Amino acid sequence: MHKISYQQAIIEAMVEEMRGDEAVVLMGEDVGTFGGLTGTTVGIIEEFGDSRVLEMPISECGFVGASVGAALKGVRPIVEMGLADVSLVAMDQLVNSAAKMNYYHDGVASVSAVYRLWSGFRPGGGAQMSQSNEAMFAHVPGLKVVMPGTPRDVKGLLKAAIRDDNPVIVFEPKGCYTLLGEVPDDEEVIPLGQAEVKRAGADVSVIATGVMVGKALAVAEKLAAEGIDVEVVDPRTLRPLDTKTLVASACKTGRVVVAQEASQFCGYTAEIAALLADEAFDALKAPIKRVGGAETPMPLSPRMEPLVVPGEVAIEAAIRNVVG
Amino acid sequence: MSLSPQDLKQLFRRLLLIRRFEEEAFRLAVAGKFSNYHGGMGQEAIPVGVCYGLKPTDNTMITHRGLGVLLTRGVPVGEIFAGLYAKESCPTRGRHPIFHMAAPELGILAGTTMVGSVIPLATGAALAARIQGKPDVTISFFGDGSVNRGDFHEGVNLGAVRKLPIVYFCENNFYAKSMPLEASTAGGSIIARAQGYGLPSELVDGNDVVAVYEATQRAVARARAGEGPTFIECLTYRWTPHSTAGDREFSRTAEELASWKAKCPILRLRKQLIEAGHASAEELDAVDIDIQREVAEGVEFAEAAPYAAPEVALENVYV
Repeated sequence: MHKISYQQAIIEAMVEEMRGDEAVVLMGEDVGTFGGLTGTTVGIIEEFGDSRVLEMPISECGFVGASVGAALKGVRPIVEMGLADVSLVAMDQLVNSAAKMNYYHDGVASVSAVYRLWSGFRPGGGAQMSQSNEAMFAHVPGLKVVMPGTPRDVKGLLKAAIRDDNPVIVFEPKGCYTLLGEVPDDEEVIPLGQAEVKRAGADVSVIATGVMVGKALAVAEKLAAEGIDVEVVDPRTLRPLDTKTLVASACKTGRVVVAQEASQFCGYTAEIAALLADEAFDALKAPIKRVGGAETPMPLSPRMEPLVVPGEVAIEAAIRNVVG
Repeated sequence: MSLSPQDLKQLFRRLLLIRRFEEEAFRLAVAGKFSNYHGGMGQEAIPVGVCYGLKPTDNTMITHRGLGVLLTRGVPVGEIFAGLYAKESCPTRGRHPIFHMAAPELGILAGTTMVGSVIPLATGAALAARIQGKPDVTISFFGDGSVNRGDFHEGVNLGAVRKLPIVYFCENNFYAKSMPLEASTAGGSIIARAQGYGLPSELVDGNDVVAVYEATQRAVARARAGEGPTFIECLTYRWTPHSTAGDREFSRTAEELASWKAKCPILRLRKQLIEAGHASAEELDAVDIDIQREVAEGVEFAEAAPYAAPEVALENVYV
């Protein structure tokens, strides 16, 4: 094992996959010597050259469309979208083209491409640099969606995404980028569609995505001192969802909090709540509680942040509500 | 590269096949046999002229009026009719409009319904050839209705800045559905936009199949030699309405239509073949009869073909 940041884990995953398969290329704005908006393409052009690290003009419809066209011909692009907000510019090519090609063409037109989206809150970002729009993509049949919350998960899941023959949208929450964690020295590919119980507990299940996983774990440690035993489950892949692990946890504890960074209405965790209401109803001892962002675009001022960005306080309150 | 009399006769056959297919497709759509048909009658010289000299490893990305490309590149008549009927015996198995079908072995790239969104997709296929070191050239077809989409500008710019092996091929029939070109497109010229991207360009009579062929061959040779994209604009006219879905004619006059019908690309080549002594009228009439039989057999095939089982709807969402 070695200890690296979430950001470093992304670089390791891409470099290893590019070494292992010459069909894999990296595309996006400023992904060359600049190192990417996210700082996750540092050093890659130096190793692989500009025939496999393709710097793109600011034209998201153009280069996302081109990534789909290239994938149809056997290239396996990793597309760094930069901000998740920017993906909305290219929604036509992602949703109308990438997601539907294999279906329309009866399996002869697979789109083996990965789209990396830097999502969620970061101080000073404002409304168009802070969105967590995973639910929009998870809604689309034909796309796979992952949202890793730890360095180990992002490395293993990104490697799996690059090897997958379907279009995969990878959400990389900004709040996770500086997290440090142990990552195996040997190769680890984490299959898409496997949730993980991050902390076993008996009293309440917190099913959390992305940056909320770490926050839920912190709350769990705090409440353990009071004798509240919190289980934390991370779906990791949002589509396809590992329903079995989530239902098992809900049935075990009988009390559930679902937590996401995105604004709550029609958010991804509504799907989890609906799943558990359907498949774990008899085991539930309390209503499922939701934690999510406020129903506003993200404001710029740091003074407004606590009101809008969901944190440990909200998770703790929700847990106390369901166990109380 | 120059066309022999035999080639010209081949071109004639391909042009006429498209025409007879479309006549039948219109008749069947109006009779309610399938939901809709987007025809390009009068524009046949473009797909035939472009595709005649391509290699199967070259790529074509078409629009929703791409029948001529499918036929010229070798998709069987019956399969295309089956596609219109949304039957199982076609490449999309009834899931998707046939004009966006994929046939990798024929160089036909999977398309999309969104007008203009095909341009970045085609550019990506050309990018793939560059990455993979292949000599393949991509033809990106689009209509005048595409040139105000951001995808047009983003796609052409990307192809130009990377000098990709692609031909940007505008079929200008002067109307985007009901919208006349002068009302939709600033600057008064589509081909002038090529200059903005530093691309060599050619303005071609789109009803002259030989001229289309020759312009395409020049552009393909440039692309294959690593000299980057060429922009071709072909002037032509769609004789038929936008589609058979009860579309009204808004802007076009009977006089305008008549003037373009007088420039029929098929009659033009027929006259040329007869006048040059390459073929007799009887010989060409016999070709017509043979084609009408091929079309009738294609319709029979499609009529008899089964619909895919409903469960097919649930397959292949993922690889």
